[in-house]
Amino acid sequence: MTNNNYIKRLILSFLAMAMIMLPGTALAAGVPDPINKDMLESGKKVYFKRCVWCHGVEGGGDGPAADRLFTRPRNFIQGTFKIRWTDSGELPLDINLINTVKNGLQGSAMPAWGEFLSKDEILSVVQFVKSLVQDRDFSDEDEEVNNVITGVDADLGDSGKGPLGDPPWAETKGPYHLGIPQEHVDAGKELFMKNKCWECHGGEGRGDGNPTMKDDWGFPIVAANWQQCWNHRGARRDVYNPFVIARAISTGLNGTPMPNFREQLTGPERWQVAAFVNSLCPRKKIDALTLKPIPDFLIQSVYTEGQVVPKIDDPSWQSSDTDDRIVSATEELKENPKRHHIAMAGQITRGKRNFDPKADNLWVTTRWSAEEQAVYYLVEYDQRFMSADPEYPDAVAIQWPAKLQDLFGAEKPYFIYGDSKKPVDIWKASFMAKDYSATNAPNEKGYQLDMSVKEFVGNGFDALSDKESEAKVEIVDSIYHQGRVKVMFKRSLKTEGEFDVQIPSEQFIPVSFFQWSGRDKEHDEHMAISTWYYTILKPALPASLYYMPPIIAAVFICFQGWLVWMTKRTRKMYDEGKMRRDELPK
Amino acid sequence: MNKTLVSFLVFVVGLAVFHNAIFPIFTPKEVGWFLNRYVYFLLFVAYLIITHFILRLKPPISMMGLFVWGIGFYFYKFVLYPPIPWTLFITYMVMWSIGTFLYISQDPETFREFRKPIVKAIVGEYKLAQIVLMIAMPILVGWATYQSIYPSFQEPVELRTVHPAPPATTKVHGKTYPLESTNNPFRVDEQDNYKDSFPFLDADKHEYMKYVTEGGTIFFQNCHFCHGDQLNGLGMFSHVFNPTPANFIDPGTIAMLQEAFIFWRVSKGGPGLPNESTPWSSAMPPWEEHLKTEEIWKVILFEYWYTGWHPRTFGTEGSEG
Repeated sequence: MTNNNYIKRLILSFLAMAMIMLPGTALAAGVPDPINKDMLESGKKVYFKRCVWCHGVEGGGDGPAADRLFTRPRNFIQGTFKIRWTDSGELPLDINLINTVKNGLQGSAMPAWGEFLSKDEILSVVQFVKSLVQDRDFSDEDEEVNNVITGVDADLGDSGKGPLGDPPWAETKGPYHLGIPQEHVDAGKELFMKNKCWECHGGEGRGDGNPTMKDDWGFPIVAANWQQCWNHRGARRDVYNPFVIARAISTGLNGTPMPNFREQLTGPERWQVAAFVNSLCPRKKIDALTLKPIPDFLIQSVYTEGQVVPKIDDPSWQSSDTDDRIVSATEELKENPKRHHIAMAGQITRGKRNFDPKADNLWVTTRWSAEEQAVYYLVEYDQRFMSADPEYPDAVAIQWPAKLQDLFGAEKPYFIYGDSKKPVDIWKASFMAKDYSATNAPNEKGYQLDMSVKEFVGNGFDALSDKESEAKVEIVDSIYHQGRVKVMFKRSLKTEGEFDVQIPSEQFIPVSFFQWSGRDKEHDEHMAISTWYYTILKPALPASLYYMPPIIAAVFICFQGWLVWMTKRTRKMYDEGKMRRDELPK
Repeated sequence: MNKTLVSFLVFVVGLAVFHNAIFPIFTPKEVGWFLNRYVYFLLFVAYLIITHFILRLKPPISMMGLFVWGIGFYFYKFVLYPPIPWTLFITYMVMWSIGTFLYISQDPETFREFRKPIVKAIVGEYKLAQIVLMIAMPILVGWATYQSIYPSFQEPVELRTVHPAPPATTKVHGKTYPLESTNNPFRVDEQDNYKDSFPFLDADKHEYMKYVTEGGTIFFQNCHFCHGDQLNGLGMFSHVFNPTPANFIDPGTIAMLQEAFIFWRVSKGGPGLPNESTPWSSAMPPWEEHLKTEEIWKVILFEYWYTGWHPRTFGTEGSEG
């Protein structure tokens, strides 16, 4: 019966609120959703089985997992929640917390619980989490909540500060939210410049603006990388939805340096900034379970007529991060190599483990030339800040089986530094950015890199040795530009060294990648790794592609002529009575 | 009104209505003995037969053939569940097409009727059809040739063994454990007694929950990156690895294994997999390098408690063996 009473109370309070809001002139604010005490007992059960491991016994964000996570789990005690519909600094609505639990926080360890817990369990654990807030009180009459997104509970007066409202464009298309008119994107870019979003988010939105930020608890924090929108915490499993950005601009992210921009931007303007930010994120097929782009497990090296131009800026190296199955490539990019997406994780297997790798993924583009007998790999990745300490340079490496010819079938060396029977060949490029300081303003020209290359032979995790032979791998071009490192490797297909991989064409070759963030003092096995991928040197287009189709078509035309001739002849024979038609039963 | 046209409309409009309006009703979340997709399909076929009978429609045999073929296509593509791979789909459709052809050529009359428009198009009595066919077909053939010659590469398919054969014994931290007879030393009580107990809160009250708490602590410091906060193999790093990390919620993993088997897998990881049936390509670390023996056992205890599965046992009490 208490439940019934509660519902009555709820309806009454809604009615009361509606009455207050009806006149619409007064600046009326709502009160927070009070804690439903009836749900606390069941919520506690869920919390102490599922949540306590990260969020801790008292909700202080200090569970056993916390110290090895970046970003750290939420500390509930202060009532500070990032993803809300309410104004900066205000408590969240129940619906906000419910959605967070349901969909998880992408790019963090918080998974989506929507399919794992029942609806009631989610509702009750949210009530329990609210009860963990100590510094504020959800039933305090002085607590205000203004719903600045949908504006259901509040009328915020003039348009500049009002609810977000609808986007100024008609609907977007499909799961990738394409089709926002360019004029809005361009307008958004101007607002981005004017409001200095780049101070934190960097010149091209890779979050490379400010290295010194702290959250409310004094832990270091970085700005979101807009080019990897699948890691946006509030993405709610709808990665490409511009609403995610529009909401963040409207509400700010409590506990972080991200303010709201409602003073500076009207509702439609916030949508335009969202359109611009959203346009930066490459469209990739997103795995429905892991919510990350599906890796391109086959890295295809494009055959190049004559010599490859060893310049990252050259038109022959341009390609789109977006999957051409989603948005087809423009005419000038059609023949260029694709940019392959390689997923990276921390090395948490051996030795000093890396629980918080700074690079989530790499992009690899590759060409090869029969004339030069050489292959080129352009490896790119987003890195917010570069190292300033020569003892810990940034680095990226490509790993190959050293004895490809000895591998049988799908056999591969162990994926970290090979094993005793199957050695690996590692090409490692280490570099420092010249004239660089992490606090510099965005630099459109980018920074040149001080580069050194080394080759290693790996015969197991603790058996890594410098190759004695002279290095044959070259770094032909490299740059650090607006938060992205770009390094172009080159090597001859065939070399002399005993432990050099000999690269055949038209054959699947295992390949994997390592990456070190110098600024976080990553070195040796303390690094980010990928699993084994395959690469293949694609052959030139066969000449038969141009003469075979017309020949076959001509042959088919002859066949058609024959068929017509035959059919007519048979008819004639029937008509002249030389042959009898098959008789039908009477 | 042309009866052929009526028949065509009966088929097309009927299919549209059935597929969009009635199909959703027959595919509820809880499948019933009547409300299921196959009953729906039979109803659709019955609808076609009955309307044709009542309206006395007799479409030409080529259209009947088209209907029969279309019904088969619809069944394999949309009704049959779970969806079948496209290779299988093509195999089925080839067989269905042969069946349709047999239906058409069941007697000389229908077969001749079926052939008539084709012959007319070939000899040029249907002039327009002849011109279109004679031009379109060679272009299509040329295009198909181009497509088949154009080099394209797919990543190689790799088959692998899911469950390796365990060794008879495993040596961890200097002590040898026979896998057949080793039990979890921390399984001090019946697991089901602690379904409603809490880690941390009840850790002081029950020895069992103390071990579960300690095991969970280790899990959430080391294992969740791959195996996930929900133990479902969807941790933050899981998308990086191939094969993907094991899903402990799935009835095919820890639920069907002995604790000693898991002890061996956790201790030795990917590098400790037996040589036969390689390549394994497992990214599982050999945890003996990072964890103490008792920590490994506690993690295993926690995994069973959290998922609710019971370890498989070989012995007098076990009937599964």
